[in-house]
Order: sequence, then structure tokens, then C-alpha cells
Amino acid sequence: MTQLTMAIAKGRLQQGTLELLANTGLCDTRDALSSRRLAIEDESGRFRFIFVKPMDVPVYVAHGIADCGVVGRDVLMESEADLLQPLTLGIGRCRIVVAAPVNRPGDGSGILRVATKYPHIAAAYFGARGQPVEVIELSGSVELAPVLGLADCIVDLVETGRTLRDNGLSIVDVIAESTGRLVVNRASYQLKAKALGTLIAALEATAGKGDLQSD
Amino acid sequence: MSEPLSKIPNGLRYYSGQEARLRRMIEETAMSVFDGWSYEEVITPTLDYYSLFERGMGPSEAHHAFRFTDTDGRLLALRPDVTSGIARVTATLLANRPRPLRLCYAAPVFRQQGRSTIEWRRESTQIGCELVGRNSEAAGIEVLAIAAEVLRRLDLDRGYIITLNDVEVFNGVAEGLGFEPEVRDHLRQLVDQRNVADLEDFLSSHVSTEDARAFSQLVRLSGRLETLDKARRVITNARSSAALDRLESLWGIIESLRISDHFEIDLGDVSRLDYYTGLTFKIYVEGAGARVGSGGRYDNLTSNFGKWEPAVGFVLDLDALAGLLLSRNDGALLTAQPERKAQSVVNDDHSALFGEAIERRARGERVVIGSSEVAP
Repeated sequence: MTQLTMAIAKGRLQQGTLELLANTGLCDTRDALSSRRLAIEDESGRFRFIFVKPMDVPVYVAHGIADCGVVGRDVLMESEADLLQPLTLGIGRCRIVVAAPVNRPGDGSGILRVATKYPHIAAAYFGARGQPVEVIELSGSVELAPVLGLADCIVDLVETGRTLRDNGLSIVDVIAESTGRLVVNRASYQLKAKALGTLIAALEATAGKGDLQSD
Repeated sequence: MSEPLSKIPNGLRYYSGQEARLRRMIEETAMSVFDGWSYEEVITPTLDYYSLFERGMGPSEAHHAFRFTDTDGRLLALRPDVTSGIARVTATLLANRPRPLRLCYAAPVFRQQGRSTIEWRRESTQIGCELVGRNSEAAGIEVLAIAAEVLRRLDLDRGYIITLNDVEVFNGVAEGLGFEPEVRDHLRQLVDQRNVADLEDFLSSHVSTEDARAFSQLVRLSGRLETLDKARRVITNARSSAALDRLESLWGIIESLRISDHFEIDLGDVSRLDYYTGLTFKIYVEGAGARVGSGGRYDNLTSNFGKWEPAVGFVLDLDALAGLLLSRNDGALLTAQPERKAQSVVNDDHSALFGEAIERRARGERVVIGSSEVAP
């Protein structure tokens, strides 16, 4: 029997992914939902789940350590890893946006300072518009940067927009919509075609029931 | 601040001991298979004009090359591939040789790597062969048979898959939609990532639903012969259909050779359309997280150098193969050729010492010059 190793992004998507998997009926994820272990095998032995930081999911999958993974589109856009993305799961819906202080509109000239956890997405977005920017890479609490004057605006992930509002920021532009995606290693896709085909079909049927929209 | 001498630049490394021996062995195994099919070795220059690679690989690929300026100001590059050099030599120096030309090589190539790439190596060794000047199904089968033999001789025949496609299937569908080249390339990328969601989104705003269905099916279609039947149900244009016919005929021959267990048809494999013109294939081996080789038809390549000719070939990644065989550790290759035990030759009299050593060498023994001197 082929075992599939699946890398799951810790945090925002973790619970939704495990529930979705449980709903497919392919595997039992109750242990994985309650345990704090970082690697866990499901009872059937058909799956091994590993829980890693979102940015590390593409790394594990690209190297073939994990055959597949679940991660947000935002992470995929940022990492540029060479992965297959056969399925959108419709979980963890959010947006990647440009946000700036409500009362401080830029004058449109000169260099823009952009604080972000997504330096690559930010550079690509402003690059496509011919806007010179200084990208300031931060690892968290990005909303603080414009408030304290470190940056003029931010590029960040927004779920409800509450954090933005509470910090006096508003959305200037939406760069992309993002939801959880199934990603697959290129070699595994061929070498474990049967097991992955079953998983993809089951997830597609299950995810389709819960959420018909795609991003 | 000066760098410590111990530091090695990113993506470069030393090989020694068992690993170095294994690499040599893989290279020799592949080269002897090539020789067995009458392929002649070509050694291309390590440094060449950048424009050669720009023409040979396309600007986006050539861009990865390390570049220098020549004394006359022209741009040179450390070769990022071998095929470009071979295409040029077939169109120039070897232009008058009778066809087909059967050429092979094993040589290091150099590429700058972006961030977050699993191809972290900046020097890697490509082993490959090219069959130039034969425009037939037989040419494709010939190189596939050679690739399969190399893998078998490397004792990898239990777990490899070669995926087959014909880029004309995609080109036929794309042509019907009449997109600009940039849009086409975006489509190609989405198909290549099997990104059904984005593909459907994109197509629904641009084309009729029927065309959209043909495209999103393309992404998912992989498998064996039945794949082609499924494809025919949604893809009906003449250009794609001809390509599907070619694949079917090829599959028939692969089946008759009893190697079809190792093959799959994957119509979503459209990684380099600017380069390939017909059949393409990718080689995956169990235990390797990335492909270990790829190849196909590239009929337009030599015309970049002034002489149009059909050509087909493939390249294997020595580093991926060596890594795989080392990690398996049960590699029959290594156990079949263990390090030979050396005979120690010791004598204080240097002329006697080397007299004996040379004699033993003449008998084919492995010697190591010992010393009875006390170490200083």
C-alpha cells in the first residue's frame, strides 16, 4: 500500500484541512486534531501528516519529503516553488491587499516604503505598476509599521479587515484572493499517481459540497 | 572582512570517495550504452558566446548563465547547457556529414539559481544524447529505448516512470483560441501546474465553455492508452488530433516492446513549449523528489544556426541519479564494483621499491606505495 505524506500548514488552515480530510472518509484525522505531535500517521496507515510553518509547506513538497500539502495561495505566490496545484479547497478564504493609513494618502511620486511579510509579492505588484518601492521585510505585526512611520503602506493578508481598521488602515487595492490549495510534488504525481488521484477526487468532491466558489 | 578559506560558494561542492566513484560509474555506464547504440561523444567548449545559449535555449533559460566579457567586449558564458553547442556544431562544422548524426556527451553545466529552488546546484553534470537529421517515429523510439536501457543498467528498473506527451496537443488547442503569446504562456503555466481552478477562472472570462472544457481536461489527462480516448472526446482540432494519433502509434510500439509498465501519457506536461516541437518526455524515479531526466523533439533548434533539421534527444541529471543511488545504498552498482584492495609495496631502496611497484602494475594489480620511514 502506498503511503502519502502530506504537509499541512500550521495555524489558520490546519483545522479546516483536517476536517476536510476527515469528511472525505479516506482517513481518520481525530488524533491529528487533538495531538500536538508534528508528525502523525493516521490509523489506516495510508497517510502521514506533518505540520509545518506555512512558508515551509512548499519547501517540503518541492523536495519530495512530502508528496503533497495544503497551503494558502498567498504562500505559493510568495515562494514561487515549482509545484502542481491541482485543487482549490475553499478553506481559509482571505485576501492579499495593499493597505495604507486612512488619513495619509501618498502623493504618487517618489519612493514608497512597503512593509510586508511577502517581499516577493510586494515587489512584483509594484514592479508591474512601475512604482519604485523600498520593501521592508517584517515577520509579524505588519500593521504597526505605517502607524509608527516605518513604512508608507503594507502588503498583507486580510481575513476580516478588523486588524486593519483597529490600526487606522484601509485597503487601497486587492492583489489577489487566497484560499487553501492542495499542492503536489511533480515526481510523486507520477510515481504515486493512483493514491494521489484518489485523494484529489475525494477532496474535490468534499470541498465542492462545502464551498462551490473558487478563487 | 575577509572570507575564511574554508568557505565554498553556494551551490558548488566537492565529491570524493564512494560518491566520486559512483558518479564516474554512472557516467561510464551511460556512455557505454550510448556507444552501444553508435552515438559518438562530442566535447563542447566550457565557455562560449552568450548569444549561442540565448539562441539555443531561449532568452529566459539562458538568463541563468554566469556571464563574462571577452577581451573584445563580447559576452561570454559558462555553458548552462550542452545541447546548444551541439546544435551549432551540427549546423556548421558537421553540416556536410551524412545524416543522421548520433551524438552524446557527459559534461558539467553551470547555472545561477534563484531563491527557493530545489535545484540548488550551480554546477551539475548532464549526460545526454541527440539524434539529428531523422524525421520519423523511429527516432523518438530510439532515444526512449536508450533512456530505458540506461536506467535498467543503473539498476533502477524497478521504480521509474517515463511520461510522454506531444506539445502539439496543447498548441492545437491554444491555436484555436488565438491568444497573444504572453497569454498563451500564462495558459501554458497554468496547465503545467495542473491549476484547474485558476485555469477555469481565466478561461471563463475569455472563451466559450466548450473550449474551456477542452483545456481544463488537458490538465487532468494522464494515464495510459485510455487517456488518448478521453482526450479525443474533448479535443477535436486537426493539429491536436494528429499529435494524439502520433502518441497512440508510439504507445503501440512501446507496448509491443513490453516496457509499457514504465510509461505514462501526461497531456498536462507542457513545461517548455518554446523549445520542444513534438514528442516530449520526463523521467521520474522512485525516491527522487524531482525528475531525473527529460527530453523530446526540438526540430527548430538547429535552424537557429542556419540549417533546419529534425532532432530528438534527452538529458539525464547525473547529480540526481547519484544522489538516488547513494541514498538507496543497496545500489547493485556499488556492491558489484567495490573498491579493489591495494597491495602495499614497501622498500627503503627507492629503485627496488618502484621497480616492484611498476612490475605489479604491469600485472594489473592495485598498489599503494608504503613507507618504512618514520613520519617527521
